[in-house]
Amino acid sequence: MNRQIRGLGIGLSVLFVALFLQLNWLQVVDADHLNNHPGNSRAVVRDFTQPRGAIQTSDGAVIAESTPSGDQFERQRRYPEGSLFGHLTGYFSFTYGTDGVERTYNDALTGRNQKLSLDRLSDLLLKKEHSANVTLSVSKSLQQVASEALGSRKGAVVALDPHTGAVLAMVDYPVEDPNPLAGHNQTDVRDAWTALNNDPAKPLLPRTYRDRYFPGSSFKVVTASAGLETGTATITRPSYPFVSQLDLPQGSPPLKNFGGEVCGGTLPEALRVSCNTSFAQLGLDLGADKLEAGAQSFGFTKVPPIDLPFARPSTFPTTAELARDKPAQAKSAIGQQDVSATPLQMALVAAGIANDGVVMTPHVMAEVRDSEGRVVDKYQPKPWTTAVSPDVAHTVRDMMVGVVEGGTGTLAQIPGVTVAGKTGTAQTGRDTSHTWFVAFAPAENPRIAVAVIIEDQPNVNEATGGTIAAPVARTVMQAALGTP
Amino acid sequence: MIANTALRESVVFRSRRNTELGLIVLAAVLTGSAYVLASLGRSSTLPVDIVPFLLVILGLLAVAHIATRRLAPAANGIMLPLAGLLNGIGYVFIARLDKDLAALQAVWTALGIAVFVATLVLVRRVRDLERFRYTFALVGIGLLLMPLLPVLGRNINGSRLWIRFGSVTFQPGELAKIVLCIFFASYLVEKRELLSEARHRVGAVFVPNFKHFGPVALAWGVSIVIMTAERDLGSSLLFFTLFIAMLWVATGRGAYLGIGGVMFGAGAFMAWRSFGHVQDRVTIWINPWKTASGTGYQIVQALFAFAAGGLAGTNLAQGSPQRIPAVSTDFIFAAIGEELGLIGTTAIVIAFLLMVATGIRIALRAEPPFEKLLAAGLTTIIGVQAFVIIGGVTRLVPLTGITLPFVSYGGSSLLANYLLLALLLRISHDQSVREQAEAYAASETRA
Repeated sequence: MNRQIRGLGIGLSVLFVALFLQLNWLQVVDADHLNNHPGNSRAVVRDFTQPRGAIQTSDGAVIAESTPSGDQFERQRRYPEGSLFGHLTGYFSFTYGTDGVERTYNDALTGRNQKLSLDRLSDLLLKKEHSANVTLSVSKSLQQVASEALGSRKGAVVALDPHTGAVLAMVDYPVEDPNPLAGHNQTDVRDAWTALNNDPAKPLLPRTYRDRYFPGSSFKVVTASAGLETGTATITRPSYPFVSQLDLPQGSPPLKNFGGEVCGGTLPEALRVSCNTSFAQLGLDLGADKLEAGAQSFGFTKVPPIDLPFARPSTFPTTAELARDKPAQAKSAIGQQDVSATPLQMALVAAGIANDGVVMTPHVMAEVRDSEGRVVDKYQPKPWTTAVSPDVAHTVRDMMVGVVEGGTGTLAQIPGVTVAGKTGTAQTGRDTSHTWFVAFAPAENPRIAVAVIIEDQPNVNEATGGTIAAPVARTVMQAALGTP
Repeated sequence: MIANTALRESVVFRSRRNTELGLIVLAAVLTGSAYVLASLGRSSTLPVDIVPFLLVILGLLAVAHIATRRLAPAANGIMLPLAGLLNGIGYVFIARLDKDLAALQAVWTALGIAVFVATLVLVRRVRDLERFRYTFALVGIGLLLMPLLPVLGRNINGSRLWIRFGSVTFQPGELAKIVLCIFFASYLVEKRELLSEARHRVGAVFVPNFKHFGPVALAWGVSIVIMTAERDLGSSLLFFTLFIAMLWVATGRGAYLGIGGVMFGAGAFMAWRSFGHVQDRVTIWINPWKTASGTGYQIVQALFAFAAGGLAGTNLAQGSPQRIPAVSTDFIFAAIGEELGLIGTTAIVIAFLLMVATGIRIALRAEPPFEKLLAAGLTTIIGVQAFVIIGGVTRLVPLTGITLPFVSYGGSSLLANYLLLALLLRISHDQSVREQAEAYAASETRA
């Protein structure tokens, strides 16, 4: 019988090897997939009863914290600043999960990231909480200034440090107060959620990095950069014809300047007055491939690697689409047709020019500290994409300074500081326009880059467009630079 | 013939028992550490009852150890510590999941040890069991069918495998499989010549004599009754697999494996066609996601638990295995997977693999065919049962609700498994004594 008994032993061993393989599959190979399965609410439940660290601003304001609740969940998540940081912190909801920094830094806040867990066993013995606190690069003071400057107008403001990519302020309107979503009464939470979702103004949508708009003339910074980088244009050549409209091929109606205005001249001159016909011509001169490459070099069509969840890419047509449709190519060069950009992307365009042509990876986290105050993670700046060479960046900067000194963006002037900027006005097709302003300052050594969009302004033209968004940008830059 | 005292003093046997003692202490330390970690994880405090807890584990295992030292000193030394470790880890998880069940499990463990000792006392020689062959057959079938009796039987979770005396419920099937294993072993040893005789051949393929097909048909019928009337797929599968495996070991005829497989397949297919609960099990196994909030809830939650555990686990009492229905019994392995991770589940699988390997070694060494076959059968019970339930909760095979030996909560299961362990140790002891006696006799002759 020994032969069969050995066979039996081998057979049983094979079964156990199969168990071992299946366990490896479930617990290692497929674990991420299962953990992120939409039906899996155990992560939320676990996190909900665990200690959770606070989120603070760079100037020390607590914008999310957990306090004892005395009910089954033990802790209540609170957002002391209400809606001011609503789209930055996001929410921490039992029913609806997490968003914002609460989502991207969930592991750090609950103390589940690698660096923290090494000490876990000894911490357990010493009764220490192993949750960590996240400090953002955003300051409460600048956030408040930006929020007040935007006021109750639908729109968004993004301010970056062009050298590091750190987000200094990120506001939009309207924005929800996350407190009701973090409540423990599930009926109330559901009602609050339904009301927010049914609001046509979309307060749950972080416009700064998830909503896209026609960039309009603010996109001319990208077209100008592509023209200079490829040698298609210089600051002296060509001199674009002074016309009020540009004839387009393929039977398309001609492309007109705002209000039938006559403009043209060299590239700096055309940018100063934001001349549509000149930039449309530059777009046609560049050709589909160089135009697309120029947009992509600033990050268009790619998801910005920001540490906030579900960031959306800005869009730009493909070379094939542009080559097929010359009128579309001309309109794309002035930020219309199929071009769309998030406010974050336009801030990155300004920051790229400000940082000698290199667009830094945007981020909101500055550092993570454990409950003892020791730094366990510190953000290290890294480049995202190279937009243009330093020389071209300097040329575009000087052209943008011209816009603020004597062009469409004069309202962004700050006494004693050289400001570089560009206006944008994008018609919505509803008799209104989105007004843009992208800028950075001081031009010689930039410390802040800003993008401002204010939606649905009635009947504005290119010149008056600057009067709405530019002052908001100026106020934010002034506050950041500490100048009166 | 050498005296028992001489045996007890034999250096080989003493070192075997000392190994066992060392391993028992190790198992107790591991269990105690897990208990402390569970308490720290739950409330960040040391458990107040850690000292009595450790004393009780050590005490129980010491009783079992002293019993082997006295009653089966030559038995294998790693089986008991392995059982103690599995029992201990299982207890820590039950205590972490349900305090009331833990108190009961402690009582059942004590009773299990008592059964272990009693078995070693009563069964002084395994071959004595052979004599009561047909008694065992009747008792085994009686136990299997007992839950179907109108007054005694109880339906729990849709299965009718329980009987009730006053406030105590008991699963007689757990005991039945061991009793029947003893019967199969003695019956098959006697009939194996007949059963392996080929009356017909189809080409080179062996076809067993149909005259001797009665037992196969009977075993098949009983397993179909368990599957349908008691709605217990797990026991049915285990019971039939056990019989076919033992039949094959006894006869060496691969055809029985084929015939058994076909018969079980046919029975399973019929059951699948005619019974909703069997269909559900298969549908859930193939795609649990479709019914993730309904019938598939339990297995889906178990899969999430394994994934949540990952490599190192969430640490004891830091996960949320309470979300899995029946987590203290059938699904306890998923709780271990969540809180101890792949490291913990691998350790449990290895512990069972070691038990199986040891059982196989005992079977290989034993000389009397009855003891050989019995050891192989008992080992099959442990191995197949662990595989069926671990495979079930990990969705490797369709889920059938049976307990994880020594680990799951369950009185009948613990008692039965300690009985099984005592029988294996008895076989191991008897063989060692025989070998020792032969060696002794050989040296006497030489001298």
